[in-house]
Amino acid sequence: MRTGDFKQTYGELVTLVDSPPVWLWSALLVAGLIAAPFVLNSYALSFLMIIMITVVGALGLNILTGYTGLISLGHVGFLVTGAYAYAVLVSKYQMHPLVGFLGAGVVPALASLIVGAPSLRLKGLYLAITTLAFSFIINTVILEARWLTNGARGISVQRPEIFGLSFEGDAAFTYLCLGFAVFTLFATLNIRRSRVGRAFVAIRDNDTAARVMGINLHAYKLFAFVTSAFITGLSGALYGIYLSFVSVEGFPFLLSIEALAILIVGGLGSALGAVLGTILIVLLPEATRLVFSLFSAQMDAMFTTGAQELKSMLYGLVIIMFLRFQPRGLVGAWHDIRRIWVNWPLRY
Amino acid sequence: MIKYLATASLLLAGTYLSTGPALAADPGITDTEIVIGDVEPLTGPPALLGVAASIGHKIAIAEANAAGGINGRKIKYVLEDDGYVTARTIQGVKKVTDVDKAFALLGISGSGQSIAVMPLLEKAGIPTVIDVAPVKFLWEPPRKNVFVVGQSYEEGIIHLVNYLADKNPGKKWGLITQDDDYGITVRDGFDTVVKAKKLNVVYSGNYKKGQQDFSSDMLQLKDSGAEVFLAGGIIGENIAMMKELEKLNIKPVVGIFWPGRVEPVLKLMGPAGDGIYAVDYVEPFAGAAGKAFLEKAKGLLPEAEMKGVNRYSMTGYAAAKVLISAIERCGKQPTWACTITELEKTKNVETGIMAPISFGPGVRFSNQKLQIMQSEFSTLSFKPVN
Repeated sequence: MRTGDFKQTYGELVTLVDSPPVWLWSALLVAGLIAAPFVLNSYALSFLMIIMITVVGALGLNILTGYTGLISLGHVGFLVTGAYAYAVLVSKYQMHPLVGFLGAGVVPALASLIVGAPSLRLKGLYLAITTLAFSFIINTVILEARWLTNGARGISVQRPEIFGLSFEGDAAFTYLCLGFAVFTLFATLNIRRSRVGRAFVAIRDNDTAARVMGINLHAYKLFAFVTSAFITGLSGALYGIYLSFVSVEGFPFLLSIEALAILIVGGLGSALGAVLGTILIVLLPEATRLVFSLFSAQMDAMFTTGAQELKSMLYGLVIIMFLRFQPRGLVGAWHDIRRIWVNWPLRY
Repeated sequence: MIKYLATASLLLAGTYLSTGPALAADPGITDTEIVIGDVEPLTGPPALLGVAASIGHKIAIAEANAAGGINGRKIKYVLEDDGYVTARTIQGVKKVTDVDKAFALLGISGSGQSIAVMPLLEKAGIPTVIDVAPVKFLWEPPRKNVFVVGQSYEEGIIHLVNYLADKNPGKKWGLITQDDDYGITVRDGFDTVVKAKKLNVVYSGNYKKGQQDFSSDMLQLKDSGAEVFLAGGIIGENIAMMKELEKLNIKPVVGIFWPGRVEPVLKLMGPAGDGIYAVDYVEPFAGAAGKAFLEKAKGLLPEAEMKGVNRYSMTGYAAAKVLISAIERCGKQPTWACTITELEKTKNVETGIMAPISFGPGVRFSNQKLQIMQSEFSTLSFKPVN
């Protein structure tokens, strides 16, 4: 009798998906997401877009913080760099949107070399503060480089048209975001199971032991920074397009904290966790409002007119609850449910 | 039981989320109601502006409803908080248009936020009257369905600096601005007059958004010997600057801009805020028009909301009056097209709290007349000086 989900070969351990039903569910989910713009109204669709864009950014941060264990408090710096790179290339210099997206990845990746190199000997709180400082420096550079960035006035960004395909409409733009999210998810899952990904995890778990095993800490940490910044930059470009206007004010520091909250709630170090965490954090206030509105119109109004304060409280409460009762996040909870399902009625 | 609850929740969420585009040509109108939507910063520091503006909208709506509504239909006001976060403004606009099915919009948060939602508003075609943050991008180029009540920041600054320059000829000038779009606008307006009148600028500072400590900046201002000072902060920054000037025991002629021309700011400045000059396009509360507005508000608002009334309540009230009047002129079956046409035909609409409001073909900006006011700490008020 099967008593658990055990890996018996190395091949099984690194396989992307270990069972056909998971492929089936994943395909159904993607089909559902493709159908979504046909049935959802514009408001609900905006949540879907935000989820897709945030998933890309969260997966980017997950490579650095989740896989490699390098805490970043300044990821909004890469996000805003990506957004500006796209806006400058496409809106200001009328380059092709694909060049814009490439720039949105490459420019933050280059910027990450600047912050990553001095940070190689730093860990924990020291690294967190360094990255935080980086995000402030980036904002100052953007505001001062008026000749390129228009300074505080910002840059308007149009929805792109790629090879005759217009992404002007919400439905089309949702598909573009979905494409980026699915591509990023596959990319990060593949990184995780590759030699590089295993080196990241080794560094996270014990960097001294990793070095003893022959892992070049500097090279891999820098690679984690570059990959993470590249992906986060893409998310920034999508976010800029969604906002239709790129300015430093549209990228507040709190986005960095929100991104960390997503990883904690979802389950640090797991791509699935980053996705689940994003869905929960983005939809939590709306779902709560929906539930409360069933009780009274006054509660609904409270959520509408004091939304931001209530949302901040909800985020804080959820993070505290997860840290106390489910530190492995939603992914941990999912694994527990699966284990109970398989082992029931036995306890283990 | 859990299964039933889960199914019920899914059905409920599905119904809520899948309400597709409205079947009727123009949403937000039933036999008894017209829905007007608004998105404002109701939490966080900019709430001082957003809450006040929404109160202004409420006063105009309550006034119209008390008079029987718009051609027999009561106005329902739907308000969303964006916390001054652009992404939330976009979602807020989508909510009030798609879920709450607003017929028209008012307000729309700050300048960056309203710029970001402009493509959305234009595409939707919903009649919109913006009143919180009048920046040129909102009316240049003119959009068919978007109208702006107010005056541009540039014009405001030019008017204020011209007045202070004429009143203080040959004096040394100092200026400090914020490192954002607002600050650039203030500086641009200032520079225009500096060039034209060849002003002697001895201090020019720039501060980071969120800065609270102005001791070093004000010390530099003192050392420069500036006799006329344009404080380009918004709210809290101007208070901190005035307190520092008081500590340094210097009292230059000070000019501030209308976002900070609210009574709570004057109270927080204390005696240091006495005699400062401000520019605005709405009447001060100390005047007859301001007092009449407060009286009207008292009769229409709950007491708790009266505390949130400031100059932005006046701009909000005026914008709502213009919109309501345009819908009313469309008769029993108002449509978006008719409302936009009527808004365009707006000519000299009197609100009692600012100069008459007019728009026109290709003119989407009301271009209000400006006036200079001076503060009086003993009565916590601003009084016109010209």
